[in-house]
Amino acid sequence: MTGLERVLAAVRCAHAGIPAVPQIFGHAARTGDMPLRRYLTDPAVLAQCQIAAMERYATDAVFALFDASVETEALGSRLRLPKDSYPIIERYVLERASDAARLQLPDPRRAGRMPVALEAVRLLRCAVGDRALVAGCVLGPMTLACQLMGAEPALFAAIDETAAFEQVLDFSVELALCFGTAQLEAGAHLCIVFEPSASPAMVPPAFFRGLLKARLRRLCEGLKHQGALATWLHIAGPVEPILPYYPDCGVDIANIDYCVDPVRARAAVPDLCLAGNIRPMAFLDSGPEVITEACTQVLSVARRGILLSSGCEIPLDSRPECVHALVRAARNEAVRP
Amino acid sequence: MSSASHADCPGLEPLITLLMDGDTEAALREARQVREAGAMGPLEVVRALEAAMDRMSSKCTAEQFNLLEIMLAGRAVTAVAHDTFPEGAVPSIKGTVVIATPQGDVHDLGKNLTRMVLATKGFRVVDCGKDCPAAVMVQAVAREDAFALLVSGLISPVVPLVRQLRGLLRERGLAGVQLLAGGAALKQCSAEALNVDFVAGDAFECARYLDGLEASRP
Repeated sequence: MTGLERVLAAVRCAHAGIPAVPQIFGHAARTGDMPLRRYLTDPAVLAQCQIAAMERYATDAVFALFDASVETEALGSRLRLPKDSYPIIERYVLERASDAARLQLPDPRRAGRMPVALEAVRLLRCAVGDRALVAGCVLGPMTLACQLMGAEPALFAAIDETAAFEQVLDFSVELALCFGTAQLEAGAHLCIVFEPSASPAMVPPAFFRGLLKARLRRLCEGLKHQGALATWLHIAGPVEPILPYYPDCGVDIANIDYCVDPVRARAAVPDLCLAGNIRPMAFLDSGPEVITEACTQVLSVARRGILLSSGCEIPLDSRPECVHALVRAARNEAVRP
Repeated sequence: MSSASHADCPGLEPLITLLMDGDTEAALREARQVREAGAMGPLEVVRALEAAMDRMSSKCTAEQFNLLEIMLAGRAVTAVAHDTFPEGAVPSIKGTVVIATPQGDVHDLGKNLTRMVLATKGFRVVDCGKDCPAAVMVQAVAREDAFALLVSGLISPVVPLVRQLRGLLRERGLAGVQLLAGGAALKQCSAEALNVDFVAGDAFECARYLDGLEASRP
């Protein structure tokens, strides 16, 4: 059985082994001894580092996932790319929500680093084929709105200029569909919808229900229509109050962070595949025995419909033995009677 | 000022409610109206501001905490404070703290919120901004005679910098300064792992901890 088959079986909540899918993004650059800036700007470097990490740890997925600034850069935000950390937005493309009307959808083959992302997807799929999941990524509408305007102005605009802000959200959905479609055409099996700004830590559940749910449904349905094998909604933080809305959003895989009780998450969405929920910082500040214990706890709750993963991206300098511990826990579970 | 101190002044209730609702315009109108009517002076307004933030603190248990509602309340509180004290912010009656988002991290929403909560509670807050080098924070602590340094980090790459702060403070003869950490990445770690005195789950927990320290200061 391949890694991709394990993942897809988990999405169907069938028991076919536990997929090991730690969220290895920038950590792959570290283990590949590459400065993050090169990893985030050179598709061959990202692909090479991702494949090396997958082989080193024997995981079931590779991620063509750059940073949260790809879309906003493509639209005209100005970035600074430090040598060895994630990009910093120096000037946002939108000063006001009402300026959204002048935004045009970019051509993913030409705009900013979008072509870099597409090439990375293509290289990964060529190298990996269907042996493992090849995951692309788009920002969800709330997160992209924050990246277009800045988080604080975006949150205030959502209250003060709701109609204009909804235009920003609508544009963000269209952009995510456009960029996601291009990634699927380039070979991604699915696109993670990265939407941390929709977390209940940022906005109340009523906000999610009123402004985001229908838009996320449009996005998930659109990605499925374009050939995504599944939809993966990635919202970090305490998502339990909004989990019941996920099925209606068309979500197949629900990310759950370390602060979410997997028992309660499973009860809230019994038919969804869960991805999580090992504490990301544990890969940096703990030993493998802590990871093993945490994995055992998660798997005691869910042996079906689970991608064994970190609750969010693992730190750049995660201890390799901790990543190995997660993968070992998944594989040991597979042979358990 | 204690959170219970407004209880004997029911005239504050409408203003407190408007502040908690984050209705800036209505809160400004109400505060001006009661001041102009002589129903309360500036100090009573301060009590209302603090009471509003205290109630937000109680409301924002771990399950209910969300930045948007607190930001809206904070904006209303700040507007009323500036309107009441046009020469400056609410008078600082407690000690000075320095706050920053460490170098490599530009996510300053949590820092800004914490600054606002602490200022409302009477602390003098010196904000070193985002993407801030450790040396700048330590200099600010020395220059401003701060009794605490607060760092807020959303992403994990800032951890090494946070771990260095204790040593840097010691080198400047500031070993007695309290070190606090918070933010999505840092709050996953223990105080020992970060080499700090306290890890706050949110802005209000940070304020409670500092209030405790303030109470025990000579």
